[in-house]
Amino acid sequence: MQHAGHIRHRDGRRRRRREKLHGARVGACRHDSPEKNGRQNGEQGRDPEHAEHSIEESPSTQRRFTIRYTTRVYALGLSARWIHLASSILLVGASAMIVMAGRSDRPTARRWEDRVLAGARGLALLALASGLVVLAVQTALFEGRAGAALDRHAIARVLLETQAGHVWLVRFGFLAILATFLWLRLSVDRRADWRAARGEALLLGVAALVPLAAAGHAAAVEPGTARAIAFDGLHVIAAGVWVGGLLPLALLLRTAATENGADARPHAVLAARRFSRVALGVILLLAVTGALLAITHVGSVAGLVGTSYGRLLLVKLGLLVGILAFAAVNRSVLLARLAGDGPTVGRPTMRRLSGFVAAEAALALTILAVVSALSVTPPARHEAPVWPFGIRLSLAALEGAPVEATRALIGSQVGVLGLAALVAGTVVRAWRLPLVAGALVGLGAGAGLALPPLAIDAYPTTYLRPSVPYQAASIAAGATLYRETCMRCHGGTGAGDGPQGRGLPRLPADLRAPHTAQHTAGDLFWWITNGIPAAGMPGFGTQFTEDQRWELINFLRALSSGYAARGMGSVVEPDRRWLVAPDFTFSVGPTPARTLKEFRGRNVLLVLYALPGSRPRMSQLAEREGTLATLGVEVIAVPIDADPDAIRRLGAEPRVLFPVVTEGAEAIVTAYRLFAASPHAELLIDRQGYVRAIAKSRGEAAELDALLAQIQQLNDEKAPAQAAPEEHVH
Amino acid sequence: MRAWKAVLLINLALVIGVGWGYVFWGLRATGLERDLAVARAAALTGVERQWVVEGVVRAIFPQLGVLVLTHGDIPGFMPAMTMGFRAASPKIQEAVSVGDAVRFTLRGVPPNVAVTTIEKIK
Repeated sequence: MQHAGHIRHRDGRRRRRREKLHGARVGACRHDSPEKNGRQNGEQGRDPEHAEHSIEESPSTQRRFTIRYTTRVYALGLSARWIHLASSILLVGASAMIVMAGRSDRPTARRWEDRVLAGARGLALLALASGLVVLAVQTALFEGRAGAALDRHAIARVLLETQAGHVWLVRFGFLAILATFLWLRLSVDRRADWRAARGEALLLGVAALVPLAAAGHAAAVEPGTARAIAFDGLHVIAAGVWVGGLLPLALLLRTAATENGADARPHAVLAARRFSRVALGVILLLAVTGALLAITHVGSVAGLVGTSYGRLLLVKLGLLVGILAFAAVNRSVLLARLAGDGPTVGRPTMRRLSGFVAAEAALALTILAVVSALSVTPPARHEAPVWPFGIRLSLAALEGAPVEATRALIGSQVGVLGLAALVAGTVVRAWRLPLVAGALVGLGAGAGLALPPLAIDAYPTTYLRPSVPYQAASIAAGATLYRETCMRCHGGTGAGDGPQGRGLPRLPADLRAPHTAQHTAGDLFWWITNGIPAAGMPGFGTQFTEDQRWELINFLRALSSGYAARGMGSVVEPDRRWLVAPDFTFSVGPTPARTLKEFRGRNVLLVLYALPGSRPRMSQLAEREGTLATLGVEVIAVPIDADPDAIRRLGAEPRVLFPVVTEGAEAIVTAYRLFAASPHAELLIDRQGYVRAIAKSRGEAAELDALLAQIQQLNDEKAPAQAAPEEHVH
Repeated sequence: MRAWKAVLLINLALVIGVGWGYVFWGLRATGLERDLAVARAAALTGVERQWVVEGVVRAIFPQLGVLVLTHGDIPGFMPAMTMGFRAASPKIQEAVSVGDAVRFTLRGVPPNVAVTTIEKIK
């Protein structure tokens, strides 16, 4: 959770360095470098690491040296982070536990309080010291050279110019105040004084801990940064109270369980009960905020099982299950046995409880180590997941398979019955055993019935996100690749009827078929890369670069969309948005390039025209441009022959004032003619970027009122809450 | 000193410190922004300015002395768009025809500007 500033993808240099470091598993977090503010020029082109260490070394030694250096820094940084996080959390927990236990005048209880306070003093120093190491390592990573860790200018830059630095300053200030406060010898004999002093320690501890949230992954979430930071803040406070409180509680129980500690036993039992009550609420808070943060940072099953962040999170959850098991035993068995009058309470139970609580604390400290690793691992949402299984489960498998659908439905009902029995079994005492047994049978049978029909073949790349956006230029590039390589088997239209496809073990797939959720873009990527041996399709992983494969996939998406759009007419169907208009870039003469995306929020009439056939219609549109503009539609005209002299060819009369594309026309024509291949086509694109109507013609003049009515229809639609179309194939 | 008094003092100092820092930085940031806006406005009004812009001739209205140009960004005046500009002399409209890519000079006190020179490019 704790670590450096905002994620910035745009800074190319930063990113290159990150990728290099990533090979050595360092720099896993993306930093906002202070260099961005100015000193980039002097350093440009000089890689600080290599400049310092290996001016005349061969490339291989260079690489080895870099990795060794970064691995060491990584290990050092991680341990420092862990110690810093653990001591900050234990500080909060120590104060919280003292406050929860309350003031006692029993000598043993007082002794315990003194020992916890002494520990807190040590922890405050430890947190300050490890905080310095964290800062030094952070600076070294920012600057990309080990020497920067001790360079005070570099450190000052990190402190003053990054958000992580600001947070560090605030936290360090609070920690210093806390340490000083803990060292003050304040008289706490009166109740009010005791409360004020202990409460203040808790307050300062929380104040020193919470800003961590503003320097972690949560601070890089966009949009919803404030919400993510708030959740993260709550999460660390809750962790502080719970995890941090375990060790002092174990100490109190152990002290009270000794022969000399009998006087503190009622106090210890009271403290354990209070802690147990508070812990229940705090764990609920942890679970809720943790789940929300996991959704924010991971977001998908593929991210959970397919990225290092997700797997670390699974380890964390596994450890948590262990802790919760201990906690359940402590709460329901051991704590219940401590009931009764103080001095008579059994010492063995108390000793065992102390041991179990200490075990919980040990597991919790391990969790904090995992959390430190998580804080320097890029969140799963920003990584390409590698799917580890051969199948995936998806409701999409049931499309067009009524028998399987029925089976899955029945299975799910059986499962729900099992779940209901499980709930009943936990509530009703009398029939617990048969109910739970029945529940397990029901759940098992339900899963056995419902899950197999949902299985779909999956590949490591299934959930890979395309690295090339769905844009006209990439579709056009993909179209060229298709013509050169794929057409001979898959056919000119993608129908699977190419001449060389006939002899194959299985006929080539009809690429025009709608791409349902059954095939992710990642599946296509896998097939293009590795081929489909059983069907006789070769792999093209060596022939095409990764970007080329994504371009091909973008083309395939446009191809099948176009095939599905063949029935789309010139009349807008209300509230049916499905045909995404691929973004494109164009310019008119020497003016700067614009994109279709800039027109979001307005309707666009994309006109693909060819002279001389389209002249009557173009004249008509030109004359009525004022009316069209008034109704809120922007016309963009694209000459199908991509003539750079298109504007002159349209002539001076009637005056054509809407954009006529002179650069970028080829890509637009290639992509959009997949949707409409007529000599003249007008595509009406709505405010969200979906193609809503396609009018195909030969370019003759037609009644303009029909078009105006369609535009008005789009204007009358409420802007949907639905997000704008994705820029990538999914 | 009684502990609760000490705690009160510490908290008071913290609140004042944090509040003062916030007010100081916050005021400074808004002050800077205001200065910037004032400076921008001053730069735009009442002074004759001149730009050299590239564009395409889209239409010519000889009787009105107006050229319609699709042009790039005119810094501090208007973003890229298609609009009509007054030609400073009839020669300017006669020098170009529809479809020409041009580089033109725009001069005047905004918003009263006119095309003073024009040349074809490419």
